[in-house]
Amino acid sequence: MSGIVKDKKYRNRQKIKDAFISSFIGLFAIVWMVPILWTFWTSLRPYDDIIQKGVFSRPDTLNLKNYADAYRLMNIWEYLSNSFIVAIPAVFLTLFFGSLLAFVVTRYSFKFNLYLLLLFTAGNLLPVQLVYAPLFKMYIWVGDLVGNRNILYDSYLGVILIHVALQVGFATFVMSSYMKTIPKEISESAMVDGASVFRHYWNVILPLLRPPLAALSVLMTTWIYNEFFWAIVLIKSDNKRPITSALGRLQGEFVTDFNLLAAGAIMAALPTLIIFFVLKRQFVSGLTLGSTKG
Amino acid sequence: MSNEVKENGVSRRTVLKGAAIGGAGLLGGGTLLSSCGSDEASGPVKFTARTNNETGLKIAQALADAYKAETGIDVTMQGSGDTNAFQDGISQYLQGTPDDAFQWMAGFRTNFRADQGLLVDLSENIANLGDQMPAGFVSGATNPSDGKQYIIPTTWYPWGLHYRKSTMKEIGLDPEGLYNLDDFMKLLEGTKKKGLIGYALGDKGGWEAMGTFSILNVRLNGYKYHIDLLNGRAKWTDQKTIDVFNQFAAMIPYMNDNVLDISWEGMRDLLLQKKCGAILMGSWWANDFKAKSQEDYDDLWIVPFPEINPEFARDTIDAPVDGVCAAANSGNPAGGAAFAEWCGSEAGMLAAQAAGDTSLYANSRLDSSGYDAFNKQKLAVIGEAKNVMNFLDRDCRNDFAGPIVGVQIQNFLKNPKDINKICEETQAAWDALPPLA
Repeated sequence: MSGIVKDKKYRNRQKIKDAFISSFIGLFAIVWMVPILWTFWTSLRPYDDIIQKGVFSRPDTLNLKNYADAYRLMNIWEYLSNSFIVAIPAVFLTLFFGSLLAFVVTRYSFKFNLYLLLLFTAGNLLPVQLVYAPLFKMYIWVGDLVGNRNILYDSYLGVILIHVALQVGFATFVMSSYMKTIPKEISESAMVDGASVFRHYWNVILPLLRPPLAALSVLMTTWIYNEFFWAIVLIKSDNKRPITSALGRLQGEFVTDFNLLAAGAIMAALPTLIIFFVLKRQFVSGLTLGSTKG
Repeated sequence: MSNEVKENGVSRRTVLKGAAIGGAGLLGGGTLLSSCGSDEASGPVKFTARTNNETGLKIAQALADAYKAETGIDVTMQGSGDTNAFQDGISQYLQGTPDDAFQWMAGFRTNFRADQGLLVDLSENIANLGDQMPAGFVSGATNPSDGKQYIIPTTWYPWGLHYRKSTMKEIGLDPEGLYNLDDFMKLLEGTKKKGLIGYALGDKGGWEAMGTFSILNVRLNGYKYHIDLLNGRAKWTDQKTIDVFNQFAAMIPYMNDNVLDISWEGMRDLLLQKKCGAILMGSWWANDFKAKSQEDYDDLWIVPFPEINPEFARDTIDAPVDGVCAAANSGNPAGGAAFAEWCGSEAGMLAAQAAGDTSLYANSRLDSSGYDAFNKQKLAVIGEAKNVMNFLDRDCRNDFAGPIVGVQIQNFLKNPKDINKICEETQAAWDALPPLA
C-alpha cells in the first residue's frame, strides 16, 4: 500500500519535473527560433510597405518578389561555387592533418604529447583579427619571394590554408579524444603483424575514425561556409569571394533594403540547413564525441 | 530673408551657367587636352568601384564601357564587396595588389595614404581637366602636406538643414527662407509649441552628431578655425571651442531625448513621419521620401545651416566629395591615372549620368537643367558656400575622429554639463596621439 503511494508520489514529482524541463527547453527553442522566423517573415514583405507603415505593421502584401530580386542580384551560383571551392579542400585537408596529428599524439607516447595538443588547440584561442595583420604581411612577403604577390593573397589557396591552420587544432582535439577510446590492443596487434607506421594509420586506425570524421566534416563545412572574415580581408577580387560576401551586394552604402537582405540571407543559409537536416545524426553525435572518455 | 537666399542662389547659378556656356566653346579643346594627358597610358586598366549594389555597379560598368569605346583601352570593373569592409581594409588593399584605379573619398582618407606613397600623384591630371573642375573641388582634393592632388573629384552631396515645407507654413515661417539664428530659433520654438521635436538628432553610430558640431563650429568660428582645431593647430580647451558646445547645449532642450539610441535612419524616420521640425544631414535618403509618396518628396526641402556669426555668414558647408584615385602598387598606375582623369571629365560624368547616376557632379560643364527642384536647391545650397568641408571624419586623422571626437560628442550628449571636462579630455587625447608615420 505505502509502496504504491510512494510510487505515485514519485511519478507525480517526475511529471512536474518533466513538464518544467520541457517548458524550459521550449522557451529556449522559441528564443532561438524567433529571429529566424522574423527574418523569414521580413523577407516576404516589400520594402515600400515597411517604409510606409513601419516594421510592426500588418502587411498588405506578402510575396516572394524579394527572393526573385535577391537571386538576380546576388549572382548566387558563382558565389556559391566559390564557397565550395574553399570549403571542400579546406575540410578535407583539415581532417587529413588533424587525423595524422591525433594518431601520433595518441598512439605513440612522446614526452611532449600533451603540450603538442595544447599548442594546436591554443591557436584557436587567438582572435582572428589579431592574426590578420601579420598574416597579411606574411602572404605578401611569400608572394614577393616567389615573384607573384597573388600566390597566397587574393587566391583561394591562401584562404584554404588559413582555414586549415585554424581548424586543425579543434579537429585534432576531437579525434584524439575519440582515438583514446579505441583499444590499444588493436594497435599492438597491428605492430606485431609488422604494419608500418603509415599502414597502421591508413589501414587500421583511419577506418575506425569514420564517426568523428563524419561529424567533423559536417561541422567544419558549415563553419567554413559561414565564415566571412578571411574572405573579406584576404581576397581582393570580388568574383572570388564566397556567398557570405555576396550578401553585401544587397546592401547600399547608406540605405539598406532589409527585406531584400533577409531574403538573401535565407537563401545563403539554405545549404547549411540542408547539410544539417541530411546529416543531423552526425551533427549531434559530433557534439558529444569523445566526451565519455578524455 | 527669403529674398537674400534666392538672390544668392540665382546669382551663383547664373555664374555657373555662364561658366557652362563658356566651357561649351572649349569643349573640343578640352577633349583634346584630356587625351594628351593620357598618351603615356596604355594597356588594360582594372577598376574597383566602391559600391556593391546594383545601381552602383551598373554605373561603374557604364564608365568602363564608355572609356573603352572612347579610347580603345579595356577596363575590367569589379565591385568592392561590402563597402565598410573595403573602407576598413584600404591599407591592406593598397599594400597588396590593388586595381589600377578605385573609387574613393577625398580628404584625410586620401591624403594619409598619399603621404605613405600608396597613391599616384594626379596633379597633372587635375591640371588637364582645367576649367572643367571648379576651384572649390580642386582645393578640396588637395593634400595639405605637399599641395598636390591624389584624387579626381566626381560626385558630392551637401549636409544641410532638411525640413518639411508644410511644417514651416504651419508655424508661420517662410518655407524657403530660413536664414539666420533668429529664424532657426523660431523654427525650434514653433515646432516645440506644436508638440513636435524641434531639432531631431541621432548619434548611435557616433558620427551623425559630428555634422552638427562641425557646422556650429564653422558658423561661430569660421572654416579656418575648424580645420585648425581638427588638426591640432587650435585648442579644444579654447573658449571658442567651448562656445560651440554651449551653442550645441542650447539646442538640446529642443531635441528628442533618445539621441544616443537612434541612428541617422531614426532621424530620417522622425522627419518622414512628421514628428520633428528639422534635421541636419546629407540627403542620401531623399528617395525614401519618394518611396512614401511624391507629395512627401515635394514637401522636403534643404537650406544651408543658418547663420550665427555674421562675420562668417553661411560661407562653409559639409559636402563630402567622392572621386577616383589611382593606386601606386598596381600593375598599371599610369593607366589608372588616365582613367581617373577621364572619370572626372565631362565625358565620364555624362556616361555615369546616362547609366542612371543621380548624384551631383563636380564638373562645371554638366547641365543641371534636368534636375528636379530638390536637387536644384542642393546646388544652390553649395553655391552659397566658399569653403567645403569633407565631414569631420574625413577632415582629420582617423584615430582621432571616430575613437576620440565621436565618443566625446556622445559623452557630451549624455551629460551636457560636462563641457569643460570633455574639452580637456579631448585636448589631452589629441596631445597623447603618436605622430603620424
